[in-house]
Amino acid sequence: MAKILMKGNEAIGEGAVRAGCRYFFGYPITPQSELPHYLAKRLPEADGVYLQSESETSAINMVYGAAGAGARVMTSSSGPGISLMQEGISYIAGAELPCVIVNMMRGGPGLGNIAPAQSDYLQAVKGGGHGDYRVICFAPASVQEIIDFMKDAFELADKYFNPVMLLADGILGQMMEPVELGEEETVQIPDRAWAANGMRGREKKNIINSLYIVPEDMEVHNHKLTKKYAEITENEQRWEEYRVEDAEMVLVAFGTSARIAKAVVDRARDEGLRVGLIRPILVWPFPVKAFEKVIPHAEQFLTVEMNMGQMVEDVRLAVAGRRPVHFTGRPGGMLPVASDVFQEVKKLMSGGAK
Amino acid sequence: MFKDVLHTTIFCGNLGSGKTEVAINFSLSLKKYAKNVSLADIDVVNPYFRSRMIRHYLTEKGINVVCPIGELAGADVPALPPSVLGVLQNPEVKGVFDVGGDDIGATALGRFKPYLKEGSYNLYFVVNTRRPFTKDTDGILKYVSSIEKASRLKVTALVNNSNLGLETDMETVISGHEVVRLAAGKLGVPVGFAASLRHLAADLEKALSVPVLPLELNMQPPWSQAAGEQAKERLSIPGERFFK
Repeated sequence: MAKILMKGNEAIGEGAVRAGCRYFFGYPITPQSELPHYLAKRLPEADGVYLQSESETSAINMVYGAAGAGARVMTSSSGPGISLMQEGISYIAGAELPCVIVNMMRGGPGLGNIAPAQSDYLQAVKGGGHGDYRVICFAPASVQEIIDFMKDAFELADKYFNPVMLLADGILGQMMEPVELGEEETVQIPDRAWAANGMRGREKKNIINSLYIVPEDMEVHNHKLTKKYAEITENEQRWEEYRVEDAEMVLVAFGTSARIAKAVVDRARDEGLRVGLIRPILVWPFPVKAFEKVIPHAEQFLTVEMNMGQMVEDVRLAVAGRRPVHFTGRPGGMLPVASDVFQEVKKLMSGGAK
Repeated sequence: MFKDVLHTTIFCGNLGSGKTEVAINFSLSLKKYAKNVSLADIDVVNPYFRSRMIRHYLTEKGINVVCPIGELAGADVPALPPSVLGVLQNPEVKGVFDVGGDDIGATALGRFKPYLKEGSYNLYFVVNTRRPFTKDTDGILKYVSSIEKASRLKVTALVNNSNLGLETDMETVISGHEVVRLAAGKLGVPVGFAASLRHLAADLEKALSVPVLPLELNMQPPWSQAAGEQAKERLSIPGERFFK
């Protein structure tokens, strides 16, 4: 099939439809608005429902309701809108329902700006909402990956009865790249015997709930969730390794930062410097296994982020004090420049900075 | 393409059809034939990849870029500066308009209808047949109709800008041209020109029966091969100080 040119935001929409998602509830916000714009056209073609809600709070609760009724459903927003959704995300995690949430990050905190950033990493991977819960979190780095990961995102949500987030920055949403869509496949959505969609001849009601008034019951539920998160952490770590085999300096970056970091690795290798890259594909669970492989030859690590250093905390936990972990990045909607990062790499490798 | 260009040249089209690249390259080429060229960025849809992103570079090349300036350049508000009217009202100037995508973007253009006298402007509809919604004649006709309705102006010609970014080859442009030609026939308008990466332009001009505008790509992310060192320095998303 011939390639077509797509924006990242459109690719999320097309990827979702091809993954069998037929319900979208959301509210526009830059830089993700092309996604609802695309689905407003595309979902009716696929006999799906696109609904613009009156706020992000409504959108996430519509997702909660639709997921509870057994629908394959998603929403999307950017920083401020995702913050508004946190209560609903926590409810969905507590009620153990599958859904996909997209965050096309912009500059923050507060209203911030509409420029591309990776400012919501901590919010995405450390909880964001209240209570003991985790959200599986994809960090794609190209428009093709977005298409490919949407299916995985919905499947993981179904497999673990858990919300899955797609975390990207505005650049990925706005930039255009050629993509191979392939043939549209018939999607098998697992049977939803648990869904609250009418009695259908059953004796017992299906109830969707995150309320556990009796502390003993809540504790049991918390243990159940924690066991599930441990299972996800063990089974689902995903990352890309780039020229790390003999790397003395290992860069760590996700999404757009990883595209920049890759250019830095190539430049360093051209100059004979042993530099590689670990790119987390899922940022939760964090790919700690990737670090065990490189620790024997890696002398130091440098995380590259479009924020003030959020993922660097997870890298330090993975490295566990065995090697120095440095950070470089730019916040506020600015992009790190490859030549600046390269200078930092050279400085660190010559023992220049602490 | 440029010698008898009308006072105002407007580029509209589907979101992501490449209007901005075409408008920028058209302006730069037009500058060789006209003393005063103004490029009006009236895109209120795209947040990042707009003409204003390379305002300084274009100004150095002698193009007067009309767009929201300072902090308004990157503000998420659909506001345009009054100097847009200056471009339309000054007979000494050749104006090029980079309009936002889809009918939403074209609505902003409709506001200037009273200043656009018939015969004084060309309204080009830019088509990339490798975009999902304009891959066939039906899709193109649907978009032309929605944009004409929103802008209350008639499209005067189509532009074949079929491309896959840096992966564009001869086949991409030639196969797209057939679709664009058919759509133009149904609309009763000509195919004004085609546009393509510079290294393909000469061969394409032989293969197609229309002029081909050679493109230097400017709206590229900073790690792209197309964005040379110089381009990286001049990129600024979405404001002006992005890479400083």
